[in-house]
Amino acid sequence: MNKIIDFVLENRLLVLVLALFIVAGGYFSYKQLPIDAFPDVSPALVQVFTQTEGLAPEEVEKYVTFPVEVAMNGLPNLKSIRSVSNFGLSVVNIYFEDGTDIYFARQVVNERLTEAREQIPEGFGDPQMGPISTGMGLVLFYYLEDETGKYSLEELRTIQDWLIKFQLQTVPGVTEVLGIGGWEKQFHVVVDPTSLLRYNLSVNDIVDIVKKNNLNVGASFIERDAEEFLVRSVGLATKIQDLENIVVKSVDGTPVYLKELADIKIGGAVRRGIQTRNGIEEVVAGMVVKLYGTNSSTVISSVEEKMAEINKTLPEGIKLVPYYEQKTLVEAAVKTVTDALIQGIILVTLVLMIFMGSLRPSLVVALSIPFSIMVAFIGMNYLGLSINLMSFGGLAIAIGMMVDASIVLVENVDRLKRKMEGEPFLYVVSKASKEVLRPIIFAIIIIITVFIPLFTLQGVEGKTFKPLAYTIAIAMLGSLIFAVFVAPVLSSYLLKSKRKKKKKGGKDEKEIWIVRAMIKAYTPFVNLFVKKRYLAVILSVLLLLLGAFIYPKLGSEFTPTLQEGTLIVRLSMAPSISLEESKKITLIAEKRVMQVPEVRGTVTRIGRGEVGAHTDPINSAEMYVLLKPVEEWREGLNQQGIELKIREKVEGMPGVLLNFTQPIRMTVDELLEGVRAELAVKLFGDDLQELKRKADEISLVLKKVRGAADIQVDQISGKPQLKITVDRHAIARYGLNLSDVQQAVKTAIGGETAGQIFEGIRRFDIFVRFAPQFRSDKQAISNMLISSPNGLEVPLSQVAAIEEIEGPRQITREQNQRFITIQCNVIGRDIGSFVEESQAAIEKSVVLPVGYYTVWGGQFRLQQEANKRFAVVIPITLLLIFFLLFSSFNSMKNSLLILLNIPLALVGGIIGLWLTNQNLSVPASVGFIALFGIALENGMVLVTYFNQLVKEGKSIDEASIEGAKLRLRPVLMTAATTALGLIPLLIAFGTGSEVQRPLATVVVGGLFTSTILTLLVLPALYKWFAIKPEVSEL
Amino acid sequence: MKKNTKYVFLFTGIVIGALLTLGAIALFSGSAENDGIIKTEPVEEEHNKAINIPPKVMREFGIEVQTAGPEKLTLHKDLTGEIVPNPYEVAHIVPRFAGIVKSVYKKIGDKVEKGDVIAVIESNESLVQYKVKSLISGTILELHMTPGELIGDEQHVVKVANLKDVWAELNVYQKDLGEVKIGQRVEIFSPHSRNVFRGKLFYISPVVNEATRTAITRVKLDNRKGIWKPGMFISGKVFTSTRTVPIAVPKNAVQILNGQKVVFVKSEKGFEPQPVTLGIENGDFVEILDGLHTGDKYVSKGAYTFKSEILKDSFGGDEE
Repeated sequence: MNKIIDFVLENRLLVLVLALFIVAGGYFSYKQLPIDAFPDVSPALVQVFTQTEGLAPEEVEKYVTFPVEVAMNGLPNLKSIRSVSNFGLSVVNIYFEDGTDIYFARQVVNERLTEAREQIPEGFGDPQMGPISTGMGLVLFYYLEDETGKYSLEELRTIQDWLIKFQLQTVPGVTEVLGIGGWEKQFHVVVDPTSLLRYNLSVNDIVDIVKKNNLNVGASFIERDAEEFLVRSVGLATKIQDLENIVVKSVDGTPVYLKELADIKIGGAVRRGIQTRNGIEEVVAGMVVKLYGTNSSTVISSVEEKMAEINKTLPEGIKLVPYYEQKTLVEAAVKTVTDALIQGIILVTLVLMIFMGSLRPSLVVALSIPFSIMVAFIGMNYLGLSINLMSFGGLAIAIGMMVDASIVLVENVDRLKRKMEGEPFLYVVSKASKEVLRPIIFAIIIIITVFIPLFTLQGVEGKTFKPLAYTIAIAMLGSLIFAVFVAPVLSSYLLKSKRKKKKKGGKDEKEIWIVRAMIKAYTPFVNLFVKKRYLAVILSVLLLLLGAFIYPKLGSEFTPTLQEGTLIVRLSMAPSISLEESKKITLIAEKRVMQVPEVRGTVTRIGRGEVGAHTDPINSAEMYVLLKPVEEWREGLNQQGIELKIREKVEGMPGVLLNFTQPIRMTVDELLEGVRAELAVKLFGDDLQELKRKADEISLVLKKVRGAADIQVDQISGKPQLKITVDRHAIARYGLNLSDVQQAVKTAIGGETAGQIFEGIRRFDIFVRFAPQFRSDKQAISNMLISSPNGLEVPLSQVAAIEEIEGPRQITREQNQRFITIQCNVIGRDIGSFVEESQAAIEKSVVLPVGYYTVWGGQFRLQQEANKRFAVVIPITLLLIFFLLFSSFNSMKNSLLILLNIPLALVGGIIGLWLTNQNLSVPASVGFIALFGIALENGMVLVTYFNQLVKEGKSIDEASIEGAKLRLRPVLMTAATTALGLIPLLIAFGTGSEVQRPLATVVVGGLFTSTILTLLVLPALYKWFAIKPEVSEL
Repeated sequence: MKKNTKYVFLFTGIVIGALLTLGAIALFSGSAENDGIIKTEPVEEEHNKAINIPPKVMREFGIEVQTAGPEKLTLHKDLTGEIVPNPYEVAHIVPRFAGIVKSVYKKIGDKVEKGDVIAVIESNESLVQYKVKSLISGTILELHMTPGELIGDEQHVVKVANLKDVWAELNVYQKDLGEVKIGQRVEIFSPHSRNVFRGKLFYISPVVNEATRTAITRVKLDNRKGIWKPGMFISGKVFTSTRTVPIAVPKNAVQILNGQKVVFVKSEKGFEPQPVTLGIENGDFVEILDGLHTGDKYVSKGAYTFKSEILKDSFGGDEE
């Protein structure tokens, strides 16, 4: 190993050049790294959407969802398939194993889709894959502001769909632009059924005739002389008059025009979503979806540029107004960590200056930071990580640790330089480096090893915290490279001249006064503790007891919520609600929110727009609350305060369930599978009624089990239906086919598209449907006349039973089967035993029909899996660390002594959380893990030196005291740099700081106790754990 | 001795390791225990809970309350049909003798008085010219004569009808036959125009047409303005019954709640869903046979809001 140092010092220039290459490589990697706000926690998921006009959930499931699901079975890397069949929309979510390449997944899904398409009956929709994007893909939302007030919602939507959309879609990195709100323009053929009767026509005849009279054809070419003439016949309808003048039939030579049977006008398509604004009006809006894997910040800025261009081309008075931009969030998040990073670097450098007492060694050490960061960038680029809150956060956390290895090295060079006056400086550097090389390498490897358990985190937590663990590990590796290769070289260049100057000043323990003062203050303590070891034991036991006492007092949460800076008020209304009612309620809610003075505006999406981003039914509305700039807020009001004010305003709206959330969180939650409750019993089976009945039975049984709380059964019904059941005998009497009746019902009530009208490249559907008064209530529908083949007109109620019933609002499926979920939390007892007891109870008292079965899952399952993994991984990690320690010290006792550091460090972390009133959470746990590493490192530094002193022939007590005193500087320095490097994260209040804070708190708190321990308890206990001098001398 | 201490250390190491593992697991699992969702107890079988909405909010949501009371319910049937001339005011004129048309004095659509000469025909047999006169006052609907044409003595050549009143013939479907009766009030509409005529049914055909399976019912229309033209397609609203029922509510006041039809009735506690039995209904109102008493205050507009408030606890379940 020493050869490395020799080689490095022999080829100093080469090493420096290589180091510069690495730095340059890091810089170029940095330029290539995509920038996001957070790590993308979306699952590897391909969504298949099928829009089916007018179908109820049962039919959607039967005709569309099922074939799609079946086709997807057995895909490679498939994890699970879940589907939701809603009114008019089937969504099949195909989840792949984490880490599956999304393009691969899409490809295999696409292959199977062709199969599925064959199974879906004609006219029931065409399954399409969702945009190539993730939960973080919705980067920008905008609406169209019409200052003139002249444009109708149809015109605005047409501008959106045919002008803005196409232009925005050309921006690189934009995969889709989805419109919502207003009305999609259509040509409505509003049929008057009485006129049909007059001419003995059916509504389907009209559809056919319109289709037949709206065509362009090509007829190849003719030759004339030496020329070719292309032949085309032009017959496309281009305007209302063209449609009006279609001849439907001719009676005795008199043409009957379409206009005599129907009103033809421009209208809006049937819609399942709208967009409202400020509690006043409907608006037309659009969402920009970013392509998977592209750089959010670049995409957003290109979109913004394009939008500025588009604004110039839009009709006078219309402009695009963005109301949600992920950019703000990305910028805020990156700013939070960049600030922390920069402040950290400054603080660390200051600490170095103070302890080192001079600029040059500080500089050598401080250079370790940029070098390690550059190495981290190279690693990030290689691993495909993006710059985000977590990965950058990792760097911010590691700043203090990045310098540790170099501190130890440079400090040793500095020390030896004074000690070995007169020797060639290169030799001094070499000796100093060789002395500490081994412990440094082991210490860093141990810190990296400590992070192993983090790499086994799965799911959302894994995706959130792995980038952090990766960057820390890589940066540590970088700092090791720096310490081993670059620091000796730099020391040899930079510290040398200093030595000469110092020589003039005379040989003198040139420790800076602060350090001297500290040693002075420290000496009596270390003496006391080494003399009276039991004091050390008492102190550690007391600390441990304190920790054990505080630990249960800490609250817990999974992961602190990231504040995205954009507030969404989500309104859930009854599932049977109509769009009009939904709009009415939303406008009321918007008006109420607008009363809060800090609110600049509100934009709400109700239901869903163009398929691809959202699948919400119309009973769900999401209100984006736009706030005024902070300066205009009332005195002493922060965002939480405003949230509270808004809550006060909107609370108490009858029939409305409120939920406060944030854009990305909401989207990701929707994409994630599974339930939020601790325990979820999924009951699988075929019959919806039966499922509901049995689920209710199960919930009753669960209620009686001790510890059960918040039991909730999915409400699966609640959407009213007008069910038309055709009487087969009755239609037989009139010579009708079932399809005659159904087709008539479908076209008359639901309407049917009969081709399109082209206006340039814009195309608009021709939509044939009965006039509203003939189809809008049960009575009108009963009176609808069906024409039979023998020329009879039969009212619908004569051949069909029409009844109002309550049907399912949506049908959810998993594993190719319908299911219903019973959710439940468990209070005051262990979930495992609760599950066992309830399973037994259910087995005893609920009889499930053949083919019905339950699956027990929920958060507890994830926890159990995580615990199982940790139960294996953590001991292995500890063992690994122990082996590393052992191979470093060649002594079991030394290694154990160092391991003893860990529990005491934990105590500090716990106290830190408790003092700052924070909860135990995953980031806090990550902090504890980092703490392990730092505590071990400190211990190693000290114990190595003790051993060295003992080897030099000092008695153990002497070695303990002297070693501790001499090592006070590096120990305090590494602790102080690490802690101070984290201070910016502790006090930051920007976006995303809430995730980093618990982590920083734990490390800083832990460093306190662990440093005390290292400095007081370790020297005291060393005697018991020391390698007997005689043994080592042998 | 030394060996012993070694075991002690080994043991200590294992204990520390185990403690740390447990501690770490506790950290991670402890942190997952409660993810901050506060769930309210689901409200099941509690459909009868009273709903209180402050008056201000009621106004904001456009909710209205009425007192249950009698209502005049008019029921009607929508039928279609056509305008036909009144057969009692139609004259089919047949030439007395076959012959050649010498001259025609009138055109289709001309108004004629009784005795007006329409044409002159020269008899084939006697070669005497005779006049064809209108038998009634009215409008010429058909005229099959041009000068020089040979006319037989069998087919009618002129149809004159008095269109001052016409009939509307409405088709009655089998299912409605039981309710449509002579004497019922009827409103006749013509599509694409605002004209409405109000009259009474005076006839229902005793048989059902074998081809169309419909019966015919007739109304006499005053047509002095000439707006109702025979052959015109019309629809009719036949008022089959008018009854004053003790209690009726607007149709939207009745909501389906968990499969039951309910009306929200005011009690001391607030508004409670009251299951009701429905009677007859028309387009706007529905009779309440049971469940609501005269004088009860009930939600007449915006009842849906109350329904959703009751369902609120259930529909949030999967949204969170």
